[in-house]
Amino acid sequence: MTDQSVPAFERRMLEALICPVTHSTLEYDAAANELVSPGARLAFPIREGIPIMLVDEARKLDD
Amino acid sequence: MTDNTDNTTHFGFQTVPESEKAGRVQGVFGSVASKYDIMNDVMSVGIHRIWKDAMMDWLAPRAGQRLLDVAGGTGDISFRFLKRAGNAHATVLDLTEPMLVEGRKRAEATQKADQLDWVVGDAMKLPFDDNTFDVYTISFGIRNVTRPQEALNEAYRVLKPGGRLMVLEFSQIPNASMQWAYDRYSFNVIPVMGQIIANDRDSYQYLVESIRKFPDQDTFLNMVRQAGFENAKYRNLTMGVACLHSGWKI
Repeated sequence: MTDQSVPAFERRMLEALICPVTHSTLEYDAAANELVSPGARLAFPIREGIPIMLVDEARKLDD
Repeated sequence: MTDNTDNTTHFGFQTVPESEKAGRVQGVFGSVASKYDIMNDVMSVGIHRIWKDAMMDWLAPRAGQRLLDVAGGTGDISFRFLKRAGNAHATVLDLTEPMLVEGRKRAEATQKADQLDWVVGDAMKLPFDDNTFDVYTISFGIRNVTRPQEALNEAYRVLKPGGRLMVLEFSQIPNASMQWAYDRYSFNVIPVMGQIIANDRDSYQYLVESIRKFPDQDTFLNMVRQAGFENAKYRNLTMGVACLHSGWKI
């Protein structure tokens, strides 16, 4: 465990995920606790440490 | 998601628009999550444990493997896999958040926390790179997927070359009188037990109907081959009440 708030194994898990729509890398937004897919314009929420990788549950980035 | 609005699929014996099935399945499993394991025991008279062990026997988990356990719900398959493999890793993916939350609470999950990941996702749109996993399992889950062929195609994509697919699912008994007796049991007894134990008759009515609607052994075997898997085979369990399908990504 490092000084970061997310445990090492959780960070590895988040890094292994890709966007289910575009298959591209996701950006982890620690402040919002979301995984952001710039290509799909979607932000996937992480709830209680579980990433929710469903398009229907993702926040649309249309601003 | 407007491309599928005209297509329909089965939700038990009802025909529903494809776009509705995932939500309805989430409803079923969200509502039964906390009593799911005990219901499985009661419905199958404990036999599902023997089937899952038979799955592990054929799979022969090894140290160092990475498992993707789709529709992994409460972690039942992943825990068995890790127990046999020793130092290995399992990613549990499910459409339903409450099932994963339930699984993560279990003692096995706490002890093996660094070997387990929990991800909510869609079997037809996996959030993983190509060639990532050594083993892909789906146990009593594929009949709930809107388009099972797409799930098999995705399984092939995320498996490494040399990787293994293993599907455990209810199937059809290749004997008419046995099937008749089994139908009497499943249609008359299971929904009533669902009502008594989980206070949810409709969800269990759906479960038995969806079992009857699922393709038989040979039809499903062709779907496994269609996805690209080689050396595809199946083994009947309990005379075909359930079935294991295996295939390799060569």
